[in-house]
Amino acid sequence: MNDTDCIDGTLPTQAVLLEDLLTIDKVSKSFNLNNGKQLNVLSEVSLCIKNIQHKPQILSILGPSGGGKTTLLRILAGLDKPDSGNVSIHVGAGMRNVHIGDIGVVFQRYPLFDDRSVLQNLVEPAMNSGLNRNEAEIKATKFLQEFGLDNQLSSFPAQLSGGQRQRVAIAQQLIQDRHYIILDEPFSGLDPNNIHNVISLLQRIANQHSKNTFIIVTHDITSALIISDTVIILGKTSANEGSKIVKEYDMIGEGLAYQANIEDLPRFQQIRKEIKYVEFPKLVTQS
Amino acid sequence: MSKVQSRFAKFKTTSDIGLRTLDLIIMNEIFRILGEPSRMFRAYLFAFWIAVLFLFWLFTPVQGMPYPSEVWEAFQRLFASNETNNLVLNTWVTLRLNIVGLFFATIISVFIAYLSCLPFLQPLNQILQWFRYLPVVAFNLVFLSIFTIGWSMKVAMLTAGMAFFLITSMTAVIGQIPKLRFELARVLNYSDWKTFWTVVVRPTLPAMIDVVAQSAAMGWVMIVAIETFNRTEGGIGASIYSYSATNQKAEVYVYLVIIGIIAILEDQFFYWLKRILFPYTTISERA
Repeated sequence: MNDTDCIDGTLPTQAVLLEDLLTIDKVSKSFNLNNGKQLNVLSEVSLCIKNIQHKPQILSILGPSGGGKTTLLRILAGLDKPDSGNVSIHVGAGMRNVHIGDIGVVFQRYPLFDDRSVLQNLVEPAMNSGLNRNEAEIKATKFLQEFGLDNQLSSFPAQLSGGQRQRVAIAQQLIQDRHYIILDEPFSGLDPNNIHNVISLLQRIANQHSKNTFIIVTHDITSALIISDTVIILGKTSANEGSKIVKEYDMIGEGLAYQANIEDLPRFQQIRKEIKYVEFPKLVTQS
Repeated sequence: MSKVQSRFAKFKTTSDIGLRTLDLIIMNEIFRILGEPSRMFRAYLFAFWIAVLFLFWLFTPVQGMPYPSEVWEAFQRLFASNETNNLVLNTWVTLRLNIVGLFFATIISVFIAYLSCLPFLQPLNQILQWFRYLPVVAFNLVFLSIFTIGWSMKVAMLTAGMAFFLITSMTAVIGQIPKLRFELARVLNYSDWKTFWTVVVRPTLPAMIDVVAQSAAMGWVMIVAIETFNRTEGGIGASIYSYSATNQKAEVYVYLVIIGIIAILEDQFFYWLKRILFPYTTISERA
């Protein structure tokens, strides 16, 4: 999981963008409603995540409820197929269409296998990626130590707090050595202190490999701006059309990414206000 | 000092006994919706209701119910009687039928219910569920044409009768598995069969024990009917039929009490089995 080419804190020089890691090309999706009408959810959404030299990639998708965030998440993870367009991912030597299992997903309520201990929740996915039981147990134990869960190895998911459950869910997705993880509302329902802890945890995990690419789907503007190198706003500008990317904030270009005191910077506060009072009000919300 | 003890400390004389009882009742919230009485108080409540029902039996104005003393005398007679009427022998004949029938019904139902995950078998599963509306004893002649009268025919009838109910309940358990669990397995790259084992079979086994426990109770209703039609080896059902026909109420009630005692023991056995095989289920209940 560790890769020494990742640099902590600010980059000494300007960020260098390397190859494409994940591209979303004109993805559209609609659903047939019971009344015979069609609900357009996504309309030609396009996006490219490039490999940032010496840094992991953290993209946040912001948007109001009913704005197609979950639909996009499901398409990215390969759980749903788009009506048109495609999602490509850099695996091995080059780009190919995304398959289910290429991207890990930390679902919103952190589902785990409740009949297995915390350790077994990691051992089984590790074995599924080709390790034998002994290797998988060693790796899972190491992971859980890194996630501060070494005293919960034999606990069952029902015995964990929400925060511990979240950490197990993230570890479960990372133990298969995947670099791509989607997190659905990781800050939802947390108090400010725990939000800070989750941000620190995600930054620490992301920094373990420069190819780690986290896509965070969230409502939380502040947390998204703190943690991300890129923030996009997904939403509908008219009721009949599907959602599009209406705004993209390049936090590296803005000079905000990787800054320790980012929340104190005037530009950070300006962007937060802009999203909250200018960009979000423009969007059509689901009634 | 416990909460209850500290509350009791203020009572100094035995004349406060009424207040003590009232206080205990209030403390134990037994008249509050979803109140949570202490474990000890639950046991007292249980004993209270047993006593109420026993008193009802003792002083009932309902004609046709023998007095407990008559039942006790009948019990002694049956216990000491010759081979045909012997209580232990008849109870054993029926208990053996119950165990063997439940075993075969469980095996067949588990197989059909779990394999209903295959679309090919879903219609068969649905059709078999409809059969539960049909009284199994009405197919007496069909079973007679396949099996010789006696033990094998009774086992077959009981197995079929219980299996239709078991399949329905087991299929309902499988139908309640959250979709998110399947998606978690899919993003972890689990194969179809591993998903089937991890998401469908393994976590539902405790619920299947509950289903079997419920059906075991239903099996007793069927057993009496089956043994009434097929009295070659005796048994509780055959005895109840014979004693009812000759208006020996006390003897009938002896067997009803025996069925009640066996039912309580079976319930406890299944509860114990679930705790032993799946200890995490008690953790989930606490959490």
